[in-house]
Amino acid sequence: MNQIAAIAVNTFKETIRDRVLAVIVVFALIMIVGGLWLGSISLGEQGRMMKDFGLVAVTFFGLIVAVFVAAGLVHKEVEKRTVFVLFSKPVSRAAFITGKFIGLCGTMAAVLAGMGVFLFLLVWAVAGDASGMTLVAVLMIYVQLLAVMAVTIFFSTLGSAILASVLGICVYVAGQLSHNVLSLTRLGKNAVTEALSWVVYVIIPNFSAVDVKAGVVGEDTLAWGQVALWTGYLLAYVVVVLALAALVFRRKEF
Amino acid sequence: MLRRVVAILVVLACAGVVVAYQVSRPARAPADPRVFVPSPKFFQDFSPSFRTSIADAYYLIMVQYYGEHVAGDGKLDSLPAMVDLVTTLSPHFTRAYLFGAFALIDAGRADVAYTVLQRGFKENPGDWHFPAYLGFFAYRYGEGETKNLVAAQWYEKAAAIPGSPDYLPRLAAALLAKGGEEEKAILMWGQAYLAGDKYARKKAVEGLERVLPKEKEARMRALAPLYETMPEADANALIAELFKAYVQ
Repeated sequence: MNQIAAIAVNTFKETIRDRVLAVIVVFALIMIVGGLWLGSISLGEQGRMMKDFGLVAVTFFGLIVAVFVAAGLVHKEVEKRTVFVLFSKPVSRAAFITGKFIGLCGTMAAVLAGMGVFLFLLVWAVAGDASGMTLVAVLMIYVQLLAVMAVTIFFSTLGSAILASVLGICVYVAGQLSHNVLSLTRLGKNAVTEALSWVVYVIIPNFSAVDVKAGVVGEDTLAWGQVALWTGYLLAYVVVVLALAALVFRRKEF
Repeated sequence: MLRRVVAILVVLACAGVVVAYQVSRPARAPADPRVFVPSPKFFQDFSPSFRTSIADAYYLIMVQYYGEHVAGDGKLDSLPAMVDLVTTLSPHFTRAYLFGAFALIDAGRADVAYTVLQRGFKENPGDWHFPAYLGFFAYRYGEGETKNLVAAQWYEKAAAIPGSPDYLPRLAAALLAKGGEEEKAILMWGQAYLAGDKYARKKAVEGLERVLPKEKEARMRALAPLYETMPEADANALIAELFKAYVQ
């Protein structure tokens, strides 16, 4: 447990030192300029537009940080040969992967909290709308990104960092379209393709089951039971993917 | 040193070319009134998690499209499809329905505007704005002798919704009273003014200018009933606009 905590703390410090928090500054600047611009063209819908586009920006920036940092985590250690020093001590590979993931969770929490709180305050200050749902939506985006991070770390144990980044983004996009795969299974006349599409549907994370942004702009009333179930599903997904990553990494020879 | 100077000059020359090219482009490409508007189903199927963001983006495009064409060629061919896309992706986006409905009048599609508002009311049965504006549209763009009755029925529906303003029953009563078509028209244009956006307000002011007397005192008397059917601040703002020309 101490080993995991030590790796997590080091990973957190290392990634923060990589200036990922600069993303918050870029986000803030874009939102301030965008907010003022939207105010002039949205005919009184500034608050709605800022919340909606702000959450898209949080997702986009969060995805970039999640994928590119997660893809480099394991590779950096291997390239710098620090992994040899680490594994000469009684540290299991599973603990290494888990610690890395938890450290990155901390970094992502800092990045998303920064962006989320800034968005909340900006919408409050500019449009006078202080909906706590904005922060709930950021929390849900965080949970989605945890799954993307886990998948990216899994791919990084298989191949190069660039490949892992690309595949991580692909999984995010596929996760948004997972319900279409389900439609394919229903369309199929062939039992093999039907079974194959069903397997794909189960494997890719389901990001489209709950639309949190729609809840924020008053479009849908969120069913909290469904949100809790979805969160539990994604966290379970993370555990499974990390276990697979640890399994692959254990068999890896340096 | 010379190499550095040459390099700086080359970079500056390239920057000059970039700026000159962009500045020399026409400020605004001739806008086509027919633009491609995807089907709402496409976005519902392929990006359900981003449907409200797409609706918001298209709402901004719709406002810009309307503003650009209404002041230019007056052609708004793609407006019905845009209103449909935005309100289908975001069925509770009240402003999109109201703006779309008033904009569709300029596209010569009062029938579509009425349908859009009806759909909005179906999706948002607790929002009194929809039956209230359906009342305005029924009175202003409806035909036949029953249009006053239909409009009054909409106002009665709006008045029955909790949270609706207390002037709605007065509007219904005014519509059901015999005669006084000019007075009714003034009250109805006052309702259009309440839609809030600059385009609807402009339309209401123009509509009122057509029915109001030119003489100052008579105009003031004609506008007095607005205080009974509009919030005071809005009535004051509207009357101020209608008396702009009278202020020395």
